[in-house]
Amino acid sequence: MSLGGPRMVEGPGQLHPSPDRCSSLTPDTAVISPQDPTLLIGSSLQATCSVHGDTPGATAEGLYWTLNGRRLPPELSRMLNASTMALALANLNGSRQQSGDNLVCHARDGSILAGSCLYVGLPPEKPFNISCWSRNMKDLTCRWTPGTHGETFLHTNYSLKYKLRWYGQDNTCEEYHTVGPHSCHIPKDLALFTPYEIWVEATNRLGSARSDVLTLDILDVVTTDPPPDVHVSRVGGLEDQLSVRWVSPPALKDFLFQAKYQIRYRVEDSVDWKVVDDVSNQTSCRLAGLKPGTVYFVQVRCNPFGIYGSKKAGIWSEWSHPTAASTPRSERPGPGGGACEPRGGEPSSGPVRRELKQFLGWLKKHAYCSNLSFRLYDQWRAWMQKSHKTRNQVLPDKL
Amino acid sequence: MSRREGSLGKGLKGRMPSARGEQGQKGWKLGSGSPPPLSRGRERPERGRTGQRCQDPQADSSASPLPHLEAKIQQTHSLARLLTKYAEQLLQEYVQHQGDPFGLPGFSPPRLPVADLSDPAPGHAGLPVPERLRLDAAALAALPPLLDVVRRLQGELNPLALRLLGRLEDAARQVRALGAAVEAVLAALGAESRGPRPEPAAAAVAAATASAGVFPAKVLGFRVCGLYLEWVSRTEADLGQLAPGGPA
Repeated sequence: MSLGGPRMVEGPGQLHPSPDRCSSLTPDTAVISPQDPTLLIGSSLQATCSVHGDTPGATAEGLYWTLNGRRLPPELSRMLNASTMALALANLNGSRQQSGDNLVCHARDGSILAGSCLYVGLPPEKPFNISCWSRNMKDLTCRWTPGTHGETFLHTNYSLKYKLRWYGQDNTCEEYHTVGPHSCHIPKDLALFTPYEIWVEATNRLGSARSDVLTLDILDVVTTDPPPDVHVSRVGGLEDQLSVRWVSPPALKDFLFQAKYQIRYRVEDSVDWKVVDDVSNQTSCRLAGLKPGTVYFVQVRCNPFGIYGSKKAGIWSEWSHPTAASTPRSERPGPGGGACEPRGGEPSSGPVRRELKQFLGWLKKHAYCSNLSFRLYDQWRAWMQKSHKTRNQVLPDKL
Repeated sequence: MSRREGSLGKGLKGRMPSARGEQGQKGWKLGSGSPPPLSRGRERPERGRTGQRCQDPQADSSASPLPHLEAKIQQTHSLARLLTKYAEQLLQEYVQHQGDPFGLPGFSPPRLPVADLSDPAPGHAGLPVPERLRLDAAALAALPPLLDVVRRLQGELNPLALRLLGRLEDAARQVRALGAAVEAVLAALGAESRGPRPEPAAAAVAAATASAGVFPAKVLGFRVCGLYLEWVSRTEADLGQLAPGGPA
């Protein structure tokens, strides 16, 4: 970018060098009408550039137009009179920049006589999908989606409003973009046990739109911090189990009587998490059915369900930082010389085994932290076979 | 740092030497008490209370003001060089947000004076250095309110252009600091500006521009950012004449 120097104005397919470096014309040399119009996409515009008659040699002869630096075809212009050049634009596209498209009237020598900024776009659509959450009942953060098509090509201002349902005045959220471009954070002065009405107003030069009203009680949208102090340890010498312990999130620890927890874990070199649901109101759990000699990553999260008697599900916290631990290595050689679990961790085929697998899976889900596993089942089968041989053995001298 | 210099915003580390020394008949000397004794023969002298290195009391005292003045000039020159770079970046950022033709090569709206601040005159480089620096200081003093006007206008035209708005805010602060530093150099040279400086007509500029429309507001900002670049780079060149190793 250089200041000064010969002006280059882009026309259709070529650049037109202009010899003048500095114009001797004053800012009042000409005026464009309309000034800074706002238009819908697809609409037409009739504009004029009028040269002030008291300027020596001022005439509309030779005037031309550029839009965002591109010279407009001469057939779009016509002289209305000796001092006025008209322009007709049709089917306008959305503005290229939010500060407006630059429509400029040039003298024959290329110097700038006047300019006007066009704002071409769409009115805002109704914002929707408002969701809110309160962290530890102290604040409220809300997020929304701007509208089905999003792009309005004009600067659109979004304002989150809220009020107590049955009384109080409208309030406006002030801290925007806290968790993304369409979000707002209300840091304080929120009431509990009484519903709020929340909505979003979108406004731009072409109009405004208002979302539907969301009604909520702060206690129904509470989330909290992840459980701190998550410890994962071995369970003695048990090769397929790990013990997980954690602490209730301190900010709500006096209120989490019905809190729920969830645990997820994965093998070190895997991206697939296994989730343990509904760990009710405990702060410890034993994971079973794990692979021996394997490093596991474990995370825990909390849902402050039922806080202050709320009947609605709370909002799950973020997962705690991953905690790693390894199961003891198996000392007993398996069928393939590897771990005690069947190869690949999957049972061999057979209807009995399939049904048993389903049963154990159900057991783990509904009778939580079961110690049963395929390993124990295999041990039992081995014992049964041994017992059967012993029972069926016929001593020759007994016959 | 003296209060006149203000905050420098981002980019400048370290402190500039205080300009509160006494001015002798010629030059300038430290005015903050006697230096502490040297610790040991070959070690560097301990720093004094001003943060400057204390002079060796056995050195020739008639030569003492010059190193400080040179240091001051050198630091101010470095500051001007840094702000020249920032001014280039500001102009680039500005034209991006206004849209073409502002960013096109050779774009040149009428270069009219803005609130009595115009480009450096063609004969500027032929003037004596102190006179050039006086003109530089006057221009640098006129720029902050104009940059503030541009920031306010851009706050309405480009409210989401946070980096641009931040740069404009920083520029006003930084050019204020550079102007104060140049004034300090002039004072040290015994060539400070004479007479009161007229108040800049920034408010009038803002009102006139707001009523004239969006395009004139864009042009005003382009002009002010251009003047900012021209005057800080001019100041850098003029100080370069005085800096050690320069022609002066």
